[in-house]
Amino acid sequence: MEQKEIKELVHSVLAETRGFDGYVIVRAQSRRELGMRLSNGRFERVSTGADSGFGVQAFTKDGASGFATSDVLEEGVGQKLVAKAIQLARRNEAIGTKLNRTIWELPQVQAEEEKPAHKVFGEIPLAELEEMVMTLHSRLREVFPEGVWQTSYRQVEEVWCIGRTDGTNVSFVIPRAVLMHQGTVRDQGKAQSALIHRSGMDVSVLLEELADHALEKKALARAEFARAVCGAPQLPSGHYPLIIDYGLAKGLAHEAFGHAVESDHMNESVLGEAGKLRKGLRVARPGVNIIDGPLAGDWAYQPYSANGLVRQTVTIVRDGVLENGLGDVFSAEEAGMSVSGAGRAESYGHIPLPRMSNIRLIVDRVLPLTPVEHLMDEVKAVRETLLQHGELIEGEKNLLLLGYRGGQVNPKTGDFVFQCDGIVDVADPALPIYQPSIFSGKILSALQAIRGGLGEGCYDAIGTCGKGGQSVASSGGSHRYLLMDADQQVSLGGEHG
Amino acid sequence: MKLVAQLEELLYQAQHAPKKEELRLLDWRILVSESEEMSAGIKDNSPGGVYTPPSYRQGESGEVFLVWADGKCSQAMVQRGSHDDQEYWQQELAQWRQASYEDPDAVHIPSPEPLPLVTVEDRAIKAIFAGDDQILFDQVRRWLTDKPSKAKMQGSIQAAWGYRHVRTSTGLAVTYQQSQFVAGFSFDSLIGGVFAKRRLARPEEQAGLWERTLNLYESMHLDAPHIGPQTRVIFAPSMTEDMIGQFIIPNFSGDRVIEGQGAFSKESFLENKLVFHPHFSLLIDPLRPLEFGSYLVTPEGVPADRTVLVRDGKLQTPYLRVKDSVRWGAKPTAIPQGTAGLYLQHKVEVSWKEALQGVEDGVLVLAVLGLHTQEAVSGSYSLSAPHSLRILKGQIVGKTDVKLTGNFFADLAAPTTKTALSELDNYPYLMITTGVETL
Repeated sequence: MEQKEIKELVHSVLAETRGFDGYVIVRAQSRRELGMRLSNGRFERVSTGADSGFGVQAFTKDGASGFATSDVLEEGVGQKLVAKAIQLARRNEAIGTKLNRTIWELPQVQAEEEKPAHKVFGEIPLAELEEMVMTLHSRLREVFPEGVWQTSYRQVEEVWCIGRTDGTNVSFVIPRAVLMHQGTVRDQGKAQSALIHRSGMDVSVLLEELADHALEKKALARAEFARAVCGAPQLPSGHYPLIIDYGLAKGLAHEAFGHAVESDHMNESVLGEAGKLRKGLRVARPGVNIIDGPLAGDWAYQPYSANGLVRQTVTIVRDGVLENGLGDVFSAEEAGMSVSGAGRAESYGHIPLPRMSNIRLIVDRVLPLTPVEHLMDEVKAVRETLLQHGELIEGEKNLLLLGYRGGQVNPKTGDFVFQCDGIVDVADPALPIYQPSIFSGKILSALQAIRGGLGEGCYDAIGTCGKGGQSVASSGGSHRYLLMDADQQVSLGGEHG
Repeated sequence: MKLVAQLEELLYQAQHAPKKEELRLLDWRILVSESEEMSAGIKDNSPGGVYTPPSYRQGESGEVFLVWADGKCSQAMVQRGSHDDQEYWQQELAQWRQASYEDPDAVHIPSPEPLPLVTVEDRAIKAIFAGDDQILFDQVRRWLTDKPSKAKMQGSIQAAWGYRHVRTSTGLAVTYQQSQFVAGFSFDSLIGGVFAKRRLARPEEQAGLWERTLNLYESMHLDAPHIGPQTRVIFAPSMTEDMIGQFIIPNFSGDRVIEGQGAFSKESFLENKLVFHPHFSLLIDPLRPLEFGSYLVTPEGVPADRTVLVRDGKLQTPYLRVKDSVRWGAKPTAIPQGTAGLYLQHKVEVSWKEALQGVEDGVLVLAVLGLHTQEAVSGSYSLSAPHSLRILKGQIVGKTDVKLTGNFFADLAAPTTKTALSELDNYPYLMITTGVETL
């Protein structure tokens, strides 16, 4: 379904709500997707798909809500879902739900955003896309035959329309594309894998990779590193000065701080007190800033919230002080923060939750780092820059954590855990490599430990946020590397039994 | 017209009398799910708040797998949508043809075989969708009435019921009804319990899960002595399940083994290499009535059957979908549904109550942070487990924070590893000796 059709659908469903004395939000979405996966030189899967549907969120006049969704778009479904959502809202009121009438306070919004992608979905025939991806995959296998390689490419286009009782009608298109290489390498009887990706909005991702092979070079460097990690020793657990790459920094900003300032989490957040955001709290040294907001062309781009509000860019931490949170219409006021259009949902079938888009951790104190092509050359450059600026502490390990494998945080207690691909001691001129081990501790201590950045801003670390059981695109980054002091509340590693 | 009927008609025609010769099919397979789902929830002690309102969902969608006359294949997700005209489906067929690719191992469509009798539907769940849905709201109310007064409670109940249709060009035409019921709750986002089966929870199961969670929650408020060098680590059943999901499921997937991307080589399976302690066996059993991982037939049309992956510590087979089975040279096996349907067995199993009494110095790990970040192929883990429970002289005495470092394959191979069972869980408590330090 195109934007026009989907707008008509929303309009027709809203027409079914005439006579209802409450409030209704209708969310409709049409999604097209294509994907392919190659393994060891062969196609394992090529698939296409389309999915459309809509959800009706109804509020009684006192503010109790009910929700009904369908992917069956036959005649009469709109009426059925509206009736079901209203019925559930009334049942909800009867069981004593917490009432919420904030939706009535929103201004009416009318918008129809242009498609932001440069290339139209389906512009290049699938057979040609298959050929391109096979070419990239085959090159990788040729230059690194010792690895077992998988390559996948996925392209998605989502058309959204959000309509509300107050006459709001907002429609927009979210295009996403990603090319990924995953390599498994073995050495000394041990195996390690490396995953690397290049993302954007459309097939330009493939065209650019065919021109510059930037991802291939990174994949090879990561595979070499993974092979070195196979036989690497374990690091003694302890508290070390750390250098983390921007992927890990994105993880820290997203998992540790972004989630902790989402307006629906204030009752259970280490950054909340009595349900309110602890605004004005010093959480980091002066010069540390955390910002969240959509970036055009980015993997997690979304110009409007799933409740039909403009998505704003929010400075969460300014100069080390907690300033604002990510608020949606339903909980921002109660959480003591402004409504910033932070509501996002996986699909029409999900209730939107306040969540991040692209989150960046930026510091004022930045050391220059000249970009180099090969990973270990870059690691050498990091060491040289740190030596030059007197940042390496004599007699201590200074550990560079490379790669981000994901992480998890308990926002209530502030405990976090992140995992990397491997570790290099840049204080040692031999640059010894160690096995990956957990980077864990307390989020506030980790933020306080940040003392500077290294290199330019890199904000294309992508992921999928799983908050509330929904899968929503997320992204972000930092300077190419962040420098962190040793802290007793932040540790690395553990000992085998 | 139902989606499955539309697709069946389309593909049958494309096989026997295609409108265009280039759209002629040799074989095909259809999987369609028609489902209704209802859910209710609790957020921060409030029933049905704005983020967890009572919800209803209906859906009718599926996937097709096509083998064209030239031997190429295609697969696509399909939805009933608003279209039921022939022209629309002919356009879809032409698009699927464009997306065709060569995969000679994938083109085999199994012939129909007798299906086992497996109960996967609870009529009481169907009644919810006929209007008898008070059970969901009553459960929410009961949880909130019974919860510890100071606890901040989150909860969710989901009931689903529907039809599953599998059709193949080789003559399989199966439609059956199935249901699901999942009810889970947590206190202070630290400790919780989940029930997940194809039937409603029985009162004694609800009571047992609630009582166990309450007891653990109370212990969580007591401070306990730090662990020592001799402290045994005990994974709670949900933790054992999580470890299996992270380290076992991917490494026993046939495609990964065949491609050399798993922890064990194909030769290791063919030689029945001993990889775990001989007391351990691992099987997929989709035949158990009303279990979450039970089914009648796989999406590829393979009848449900038990498959032993590890017998007495020795590798037997990875789980094989049809394509993998062709490459492996064996019949397709049972397929786990996530971790559901997979069972870890030990020759010496005692009850948890009995096992707990024998623990002199242990720590019960209920959950860890960051398990999904661990390297599945190596089996190694390095995890933090805040809010674990200290066990001393057979008693749970309070909370402690630990971190764990070890290797899950080594844990399953160690002679010191024991298991204990609880009637509330499909997975056992796993009692291991591994690296453990105070966090």
